[in-house]
Amino acid sequence: MRRASALALALVLVCARGTNSQTLTQRGFAEGVVFLFPQTTSNDATQVVGDGLVREEVFWKPAAWLRFAAGLDVRASSHDEVEPGWRFDFGDRGIQRPRLSARRLAGTLTHGGLNIDVGKQFIRWGKTDIVTPTDRFAPRDFLNVISSELLPVIGARASYQRGAEAFEGVWVPRLTPSRLPLLGQRWTSVPQEADTVPIVDAGSVFPTGAQAGARWSHVGAGFEYSLSFFHGFNHLPTIESAVAGVPPAQVLLRAYPAIRAYGADAALPTHWFTLKVEAEYFTLRPGDAPATPPGGEGLPPVLTDDYVLYGIQLERQAGEWVFIGGYIGDVVTENRSAIAFAPDRGLAKSIVGRASYTVDPRRNLAFEGVVHQNGQGLYAKFEYSESRGQHWRVTLSGVGIAGSDTDFIGQYHRNSNVSTTVRYSF
Amino acid sequence: MSSASARSGWGPPATAINALIVATVATLAFSVTLRGADTARDIVGESQRRADAKSQRYEGLLQVFDRKGRITDKRWTFERLGSSGQSKAVLRFTAPPEVKGVALLVVNHPDRASDQWMWTPAIERERRIALQDRSTRFFGTDFSFEDLEERDVDQYDYSLAGEEVVDGAACWKIESTPKQSKSSQYTKAIVWIRKDNYALARIENFIKSDVVRRLQYSDIRNVQGIWTARQLEMSDLRVGSRTRLTLDRLEYNVNLNDADFTLLAIRRQ
Repeated sequence: MRRASALALALVLVCARGTNSQTLTQRGFAEGVVFLFPQTTSNDATQVVGDGLVREEVFWKPAAWLRFAAGLDVRASSHDEVEPGWRFDFGDRGIQRPRLSARRLAGTLTHGGLNIDVGKQFIRWGKTDIVTPTDRFAPRDFLNVISSELLPVIGARASYQRGAEAFEGVWVPRLTPSRLPLLGQRWTSVPQEADTVPIVDAGSVFPTGAQAGARWSHVGAGFEYSLSFFHGFNHLPTIESAVAGVPPAQVLLRAYPAIRAYGADAALPTHWFTLKVEAEYFTLRPGDAPATPPGGEGLPPVLTDDYVLYGIQLERQAGEWVFIGGYIGDVVTENRSAIAFAPDRGLAKSIVGRASYTVDPRRNLAFEGVVHQNGQGLYAKFEYSESRGQHWRVTLSGVGIAGSDTDFIGQYHRNSNVSTTVRYSF
Repeated sequence: MSSASARSGWGPPATAINALIVATVATLAFSVTLRGADTARDIVGESQRRADAKSQRYEGLLQVFDRKGRITDKRWTFERLGSSGQSKAVLRFTAPPEVKGVALLVVNHPDRASDQWMWTPAIERERRIALQDRSTRFFGTDFSFEDLEERDVDQYDYSLAGEEVVDGAACWKIESTPKQSKSSQYTKAIVWIRKDNYALARIENFIKSDVVRRLQYSDIRNVQGIWTARQLEMSDLRVGSRTRLTLDRLEYNVNLNDADFTLLAIRRQ
């Protein structure tokens, strides 16, 4: 599979290079980021982290009804966030980021209002900006929890638009999980007991079986809304743990609960602001008995809560300012006491805000903040970005995090940082 | 003038780039006397009628000059399908590299403001541009989102404010104000239309009594029978910057597919 994918990727890239420029578009960049953390954490003494990424994407349209897209990522890290070897990765299931991976490799057939996309691609649902609970086919890379990047999925999507109505069906034969923070690094908060009982990462147990989803959208005059359904697995895992071995160690295993989810979203632009709402009800699949994960004998069955996650936000643009403010909430309808890594739920019961200002065509400022309504967690970020010439952009960021160890945001209170990003786009 | 021609969609007086979207300026012959069309509204309607085409495509070079004279270049491709006032348009950036692939879909309506969505490939999402967003600069240029939409001639009231010479050409000077049903950031606009070919020569947009944006048309050529300004320069008089748009590879009445002017279609890269 991996070899075939690499060959297909190379074929598209090479063939596309030889075609008429009218049918070919390309974009890419090389980027370097340096993070400086003023504080160490109990499991990570590294205070300077550097990451590098080169990305190239090619879009080739050999005929009006046919398109191909291919993309390649090459990564490096000073802090073991990237796999050491040069294996070509297509599945995005590794604990570390792959050094060499396919970002996308897909073909698109078009006939009238019908689109069929097959291959590795990005599928985005939802309307809100900070937490998008209906975005079920959009796993993320959470190695840096507060700066996550979208991951593609492998599957097929059929979309049909007729007038104001759009229908979408998605089939994904296997789960692409979100990538979690590494156990030995600062974005994993380690409890005090770890000093006496070592923690062992037993990896992931991936479920078998396909995922499917459907979405209906209506784009009306000045108003739009969608309804969606998902049948598959949560790309965010529950964490199964057990004490095993001599001397005893805490063994952690990631498992992905089988869920169904029902979602809705809407956007209502008014004269003064745009109102966006989005909600999803997550439930263990009815009829599916909670199962012990294969390979996880001795561990409890994979459970997850039933809950509703929702976001409400207001947007307002005034001159060169853009303001977004809102609230993220959740309602647990059945608590099964599952331990999960869930940044989306971790932001629930929070007030969120973002303001950005375009200084001029070259320079931008942005500020964003999240505060839990109980005051136990606070995140604030300031960013200044400036382009140089046609290709260069420099971004300076500062992130402040405060709160208690028991809060999802607050647990990262020693991870405040400043960073510099230099990007060359081509 | 027939009501059909009057409704065929005019590059709105309050908008600049509209001229490039609708192809604005046109004439079938020089020195035409406008029979029975001596009112301001008839002049605008005739200007619009002469610019009418069932579709349009061009490649645009945008040069943004800031207050210090520094230049930022952007390039886009533009396609429009349908007659003005009821057309759909897709604008997609091709340069600089960091905005490559960003696309804007504009669906114009004769009786209300257009619907607009922007596709941002970096986040793989489209976003509806809200009504209140339309006074905002479009991607760091001096054009606002409202300036990208196309409106029907009937959405405005007109009055003849005199005659003036612009760039050596005799022009009608017409004041236009949006009707109450029309949502616009501008209070009014002064439009100069050339007498020889009904091409737009200049537009000044006002907020209350202040001119806030000025659009100057130049390099006017006859393209497939339509007199078209190949260069448009929008000045934001409040901040002292300006954006020059040069149209290249301009074609009218090209074969375009309706299915390429949808939200689904702008995702295709």
